[in-house]
Amino acid sequence: MPAADNLSLGEALRALPLAAPPGDNWAVLAERLPRARATPSRRHRLVLPAALAAACAVAFVVVQRTHAPADTATVAHVAASSSTNGTDAQTVSSEAESTRLAQLQQRSAALERWLRDTGRNAAPLQGQDLAAATEIENLIGLVDVELAAPRQTQAQALWQRRVGLLEDLTALRYSNYRLAAGGEVAAAYSID
Amino acid sequence: MVSATSFQIDLPAQLIERAQRGDVAAFEQIYRRFERPVFTLALRMLGEPEAARDTLHDTMLKAFERIAQFRGDAPLWAWLRQIATNEALMRLRRGDHLNASRDVPDFDTLADDAPAPWAHADARALEAALAQLPAVTRSVLWLYHVEGQTHPEIALAMGKTTSFSKSQLARGTARLRAILDPETAEPEVEPCLLPTT
Repeated sequence: MPAADNLSLGEALRALPLAAPPGDNWAVLAERLPRARATPSRRHRLVLPAALAAACAVAFVVVQRTHAPADTATVAHVAASSSTNGTDAQTVSSEAESTRLAQLQQRSAALERWLRDTGRNAAPLQGQDLAAATEIENLIGLVDVELAAPRQTQAQALWQRRVGLLEDLTALRYSNYRLAAGGEVAAAYSID
Repeated sequence: MVSATSFQIDLPAQLIERAQRGDVAAFEQIYRRFERPVFTLALRMLGEPEAARDTLHDTMLKAFERIAQFRGDAPLWAWLRQIATNEALMRLRRGDHLNASRDVPDFDTLADDAPAPWAHADARALEAALAQLPAVTRSVLWLYHVEGQTHPEIALAMGKTTSFSKSQLARGTARLRAILDPETAEPEVEPCLLPTT
């Protein structure tokens, strides 16, 4: 351990030796790996049927708003493209990607806003719903780790995945929001 | 903030690609390299070797399940560390530790320029002092100082406010000072629990 008088707490903590778990933990893990690969994200998958149903309503309430500026952007882009003779195909493709990326980011922001502003009025999640929401939040955290990287080669795929996860989370929270709203929202945006 | 986390192990792209295709031998190599960093992170946050071992197991299981979704823009170690942190935090939530936020007394009166007792403490003494902190306080200290996370990041992960993270860091740091160097510490004052009328 370093012994400088002005050693910061961070330096002192980082200088602590790594701890080793007792026993051969790989052997225990290895037995479960093939099954783990066969059933990915089991808990997350359980919530999807309900999430998909609720997402129909949520799409109307939340996501639709984010489409308007995106559609406008798309129309503008198409108009601009068609009015330019001999436009380089690569440039058009790059612009389309940028537009799509902007759409995904807007949608992600709108869903997050809804989760923050409206979701807080929902009844607290419990049991399996809580576990599913936590797992989705953790998966969003993993996407964010990759999105925070300085080098971005998969940005669109990552944002697409982020939006998908936020939609699942929104659907889950929306069900509870409907319950907390005493059915009023359900009547307005029935999915049955 | 400069972070020299023990997780910072770069892996060959080929090894990651093999693991993404389900190659268990490749995944074992990844496991062997990250077993101790994951276990150490979990042990520092949870304070219990058995819980840390369970966290290691669940972290690696989830990493195996999800590695095909890893796109490769960020280093794998950062991605794996996120899974490990999430797993440890989930255990803290289950144990209701995240709600036990008022169990470290305030030591805000200590001067910032007071001598740092950890400069002269050996590893065992520092580990013993860390072990005396509440799990959530110790987790904030570790995530901030060792894993290089910011207060907003810690707050988000814990479902708390940025102020909560800052206050846990300040209180935990002061508490460590007091444990390691009790002679210079302010007297510990128990919170007043007199009923209000």
